[in-house]
Amino acid sequence: MGAAQSGPKITAQDRAILSMKAQRDKLREYRKKIQVVLDQEQRIAKEALKQGNKERALTALRRRKFQESLLQKTDGQLEVLTNLVSNIEFALIEKDVLFGLEQGNKVLKQIHSEMDIEKVQKLMDDTAEGIRYQREIDEMLMSTMSVEEEEAVQQELAQLQAE
Amino acid sequence: MPYEPFTTESGFVLQPIHSFPPFFTKQHHPSILSDATQQWIKLILGYARHRRLWTLRVEDAESKDGPWNEVFWNPRIKRQMPQQYLEYITKTMVSEGSAFWEPPRQTRSVIVCWSKVDAWAETLYDWVLSTGQMNTILTYYEIQNPETVEGPMSETPLPLLLKAIQVLAKSGRAQQIEGEAADGAEGGGGVRFFRAVAK
Repeated sequence: MGAAQSGPKITAQDRAILSMKAQRDKLREYRKKIQVVLDQEQRIAKEALKQGNKERALTALRRRKFQESLLQKTDGQLEVLTNLVSNIEFALIEKDVLFGLEQGNKVLKQIHSEMDIEKVQKLMDDTAEGIRYQREIDEMLMSTMSVEEEEAVQQELAQLQAE
Repeated sequence: MPYEPFTTESGFVLQPIHSFPPFFTKQHHPSILSDATQQWIKLILGYARHRRLWTLRVEDAESKDGPWNEVFWNPRIKRQMPQQYLEYITKTMVSEGSAFWEPPRQTRSVIVCWSKVDAWAETLYDWVLSTGQMNTILTYYEIQNPETVEGPMSETPLPLLLKAIQVLAKSGRAQQIEGEAADGAEGGGGVRFFRAVAK
């Protein structure tokens, strides 16, 4: 079509995965074919029985049995291949996760290098000092308030006595 | 009103013009020919959508028992689509983009796009997105034959699927990967879809 295809580079791994999936597809097609033959032999057996031809029915059933064993083998191989494909795809995800961890780790280290432990300690000490100083002032102000309140109460008492 | 719509056996409603004998003749006058041809194209695409037909061959004009016979043969007025006229119609469809020659480099048989290729491309992309298959390598076979549920592209002919993928490739949402089919037949190869990068 002319336009160059964008997107991630197609690696040899990608081609390998494609090739495996093509093999898997071939197995699936083969499996379909076996199932068709299997069903056909079943029908032949039924027909033969209806016509009273026991021998013919038996032959069809034997052929069907053979197809069944082929089917089982195919299913087994299909399972192995499908699992392999899944494992590979998962391994690729894990690789990405590992890469993410590496990146995150780098960033964390860098931030730590900018935060000097001693600086932090001094800051914490200064802050504690500031909080203590603030508390002292609060206490002083509170006691001042109590004295004023005490005078007010004394005045009220005097007024009551006067009545 | 002498001309009425007619409902076919398959449940498709043919418009009154289908009962108008001259409709089955390739007209000489350019503007009449153009109008009539557009009507035929609309009819063909509508019918294809109704019956899920994909392929149209010029031979289908003469057939009385093919999948298109409800459209190209009107026994009530004893008229049949002439093969020459159908050739003209299919050529027009290809030039307008509502069909494409398949196999390529011949002019007897087309695949009709009763939905535009662009619409198919979006359907395909949405399906890949919603089934979590972005950034995965997929074979054409597994797109058309998903393991569990039927996908939206299961019935489309392979050439149409490929055209839809090419549309997505142009807009940076897919890349095709060559490969052989496991038995060397047609249809090998695969594709990977991804979200477009905003430029």
